[in-house]
Amino acid sequence: MITRDQLATLLDRLVEKNKVIAPVSDNRGVVRYTAIRTAGDVAWEFDRAKVPPKSHFLPQTEELYCYDTTGGELRIEPVPAAGRAVVFGVHPCDLRAIAALDPVFDGVFKDVYYLDKRERTVVVGLACKQVLPGCFCRSYGIEPTDGEGADLMLTEVGDRYYAEILTPKGEALVREFPELFSDGGVEEGRRGKEALSRELAGQFQREVDLTGVKEKVDTMFEHPYWQEVARKCIGCGICTYLCPTCHCFDIIENHSGHRGSRLRCWDSCMFTDFTLHTSSHNPRSTKKERVRNRFLHKLSYHNERYGLAGCVGCGRCVAECPVNIDITKIIADIKEVD
Amino acid sequence: MGNVENCLLPLPATIQKIIPETSDVNTYRVTFDDPEVMANWRNKPGQLAMISLFGAGEAMFSISSSPTQRDYLEFTIRKAGVVTKALHSLEEGGKIGIRGPYGNGFPFDLMKGRDVLFVGGGIGLAPLRSLIEFMLDDQNRADFGKIEVLYGARSSDDLCFKQAVLEDWPKRPNCEVWTTIDRAEDAWKGHVGFVPAYLEEVGPKGEGKVAVLCGPPIMIKFVLVGLEKLGFKDEMIYSTLELRMKCGVGKCGRCNIGHKFVCLEGPVFDLVQIKELPPEF
Repeated sequence: MITRDQLATLLDRLVEKNKVIAPVSDNRGVVRYTAIRTAGDVAWEFDRAKVPPKSHFLPQTEELYCYDTTGGELRIEPVPAAGRAVVFGVHPCDLRAIAALDPVFDGVFKDVYYLDKRERTVVVGLACKQVLPGCFCRSYGIEPTDGEGADLMLTEVGDRYYAEILTPKGEALVREFPELFSDGGVEEGRRGKEALSRELAGQFQREVDLTGVKEKVDTMFEHPYWQEVARKCIGCGICTYLCPTCHCFDIIENHSGHRGSRLRCWDSCMFTDFTLHTSSHNPRSTKKERVRNRFLHKLSYHNERYGLAGCVGCGRCVAECPVNIDITKIIADIKEVD
Repeated sequence: MGNVENCLLPLPATIQKIIPETSDVNTYRVTFDDPEVMANWRNKPGQLAMISLFGAGEAMFSISSSPTQRDYLEFTIRKAGVVTKALHSLEEGGKIGIRGPYGNGFPFDLMKGRDVLFVGGGIGLAPLRSLIEFMLDDQNRADFGKIEVLYGARSSDDLCFKQAVLEDWPKRPNCEVWTTIDRAEDAWKGHVGFVPAYLEEVGPKGEGKVAVLCGPPIMIKFVLVGLEKLGFKDEMIYSTLELRMKCGVGKCGRCNIGHKFVCLEGPVFDLVQIKELPPEF
């Protein structure tokens, strides 16, 4: 168990030796996972950060390497590996999303930028305290108190947090600050977590039945339904930027004179030039192809490649789409259309 | 292999030689600046590499030299976009970055003991050349049957690898080359006409034979019709697919066709696979 004050102390102590990333509210009230200087920066009462914590592992803009071509020579310097970090306050849907991203950046070709951060980051999960109208993680088999994927999982119970050590990394973190955690009231904490879990399970306003959806959608590539969805879409890409499992990126040039660097920036399959060839040929030239690609990625392709769902039911795209395209409605429609 | 430690980091390389192919296509012969990288580099015919022009960006190209040539890599590149314009502005001695190799390459083991027909259009001969030279190499020649190459371009100027196509390959034992250009020219003594029509005219028998194609989509479309008539089997027809790529390692998300990434599972597919893919390329 750990009290709120002790948790704040923990974060303050961690800041001394680590980069500590936590939900922070900016001056417009937008919550995103940001490096904090003190525990006072944390938006303790956040519900769902608008930008998911993938931004730590796959930053919106990330320098990959620098180069210098002075004097006709070529020197390429990779950026130094990431240091130790702690990401605090990751909700269960986002924990699952990190698990969905891991195999993308691992594999035959290992992405050292992502994997270094994963290896050197301790993930502190935080159980949800409420279910938002867009939330449907439960349809993906996630409970809003699940700690799977966290190194240390916290659940607010009364005026304290019930802390579960789930991995050696989580254990090392607790062992570094034994004076901040106590064993007293653990049983009460466990029961409190169970009660919260039951309470939250009854709060879901959205539920989808995913049975047979992948199989059905796999037969729908040529279906006119995508045209219908595309008609509404304005191609803004907000769904992809805020999606915790979207990982598409561009590598862009950032140079001045002989020196420069290459930056990896989030990109979106909703943009026309994403797949545009130099020849002007474009395999996904209209919104229909792009919308179809996004939903097939979420509901089929990711699963086909990695055996993990490409959606975690976090509800961000549902809440933020300016024209109310709703993946839960799309899932329901897929089951209905001929 | 190439850069395995950090798959996104280009390795410095130098243009040793620029061989003009057509008015807007050059072959760039390059070596890695680190001799150890050069010595350890291994690729298969038909694999790709990401070329970096510092100040311009990166783009993916097929390696047009045969892997049996261990001293350098060649890339045959048309001046077309931002990166290729920057490349074409460089001279011999110019510095570029290379990372790779990427993609599956041609499954040449499956072609052993068989006759192989290559059908290429324009700069589409570049990836085919890596396999043709590989098969014609002394150490591999006995593994393969007759090599036939049917190659066409818009004009005689647009023919790439002229020395090989018109002089060297036709002289090699058990190797036949047919060349055609789209429209008649005064100095051109060879065949005139489109590749698919010439294919039907030449009429190589398809039975037991492998066909490997690369060229503009319209050429591929009609060549496939011709090959079927000649008795080629779908599982023995290979083609390369081209999609925009940024990473080359299955992560940036733009070269997918359905759940397949062309940079990983491609760029070479057989016709059975191509027919199973969603038509989005």
